[in-house]
Amino acid sequence: MIDKLYRAFVNATHNVFNLMLSITEISDHPTEDFKCDDEVDIAVGIVGDLYGEVIYRFPVSTSLNMVNIMSGMQFNTVDVFVISAVSEIANIISGNVLTALSDSNVKCDILPPVQCKPYEDKEYEMKTSCCISTTIGDICLVIKLNRAS
Amino acid sequence: MLWKDKYELGVPVIDAQHKELFKRVESFLQILRSGDSWDEKVPKINETLEFMKKYVVEHFRDEEEYQRNINYPRYEAHKQIHDSMVNYVQDVSKQYEQSNNNEYLMQQFGGKLLAWLINHVAAEDQLIADYAIKKGMRDNDR
Ligand SMILES: [Fe+2]
Repeated sequence: MIDKLYRAFVNATHNVFNLMLSITEISDHPTEDFKCDDEVDIAVGIVGDLYGEVIYRFPVSTSLNMVNIMSGMQFNTVDVFVISAVSEIANIISGNVLTALSDSNVKCDILPPVQCKPYEDKEYEMKTSCCISTTIGDICLVIKLNRAS
Repeated sequence: MLWKDKYELGVPVIDAQHKELFKRVESFLQILRSGDSWDEKVPKINETLEFMKKYVVEHFRDEEEYQRNINYPRYEAHKQIHDSMVNYVQDVSKQYEQSNNNEYLMQQFGGKLLAWLINHVAAEDQLIADYAIKKGMRDNDR
């Protein structure tokens, strides 16, 4: 299950980057490769057959590049506009994953994205993370889920 | 320019509306992000926001009519996405009015609107065109 989730998130990120940002080259690596000083962290809560959250860690430079491509304008600092735009992208990726999972009979819903801190030590049944590299920068995804009994 | 040719569905009426919608959103974003002080921007922001709100509703209505005409099977789900966006836009503008033109609310709205619109037109609306092509219904429009 955890491998399937991992794949689903990597694929959804790939599709969304391709459709929305015209970025086709994407690869995934272990999280140890993810290095970043300053980042925008967005949590998307998941409820249903699986519950927990997915944290999207967008480095500042990746976030700005994403918004620059979408808007065709120049953004140099992270402000509420940028946070809101990348939150919506996290929301879209998560929504696409849940649609893909519903095809295999896993029913879940997502909660509105919120800005968060990536560190937290709660125990989860399923926990995995990945670093996704793109031509406009890396992203780190942390997937933390329990099965509903 | 916000609009990209790859967003084209091949349905002239809908494509023209999408282009117009992108144009309006673009001018809204340009004012929102310009270097002028917020107080200076407010009248223009309010004007484009009102324009855009009306246009979004009209466009969704026309696009839904097109979907019904071609018997698009995902019509209900698509309409739900439209409805929840309309509700969001109405909620935000109400809050914005009540807050006496709070800038934070509008910047937050602008960021979400940008990403939402691109995804909606590039992904969700594209599915309508895929269906119409499959059914050979794209050229006769309505
Ligand atoms: Fe639509």
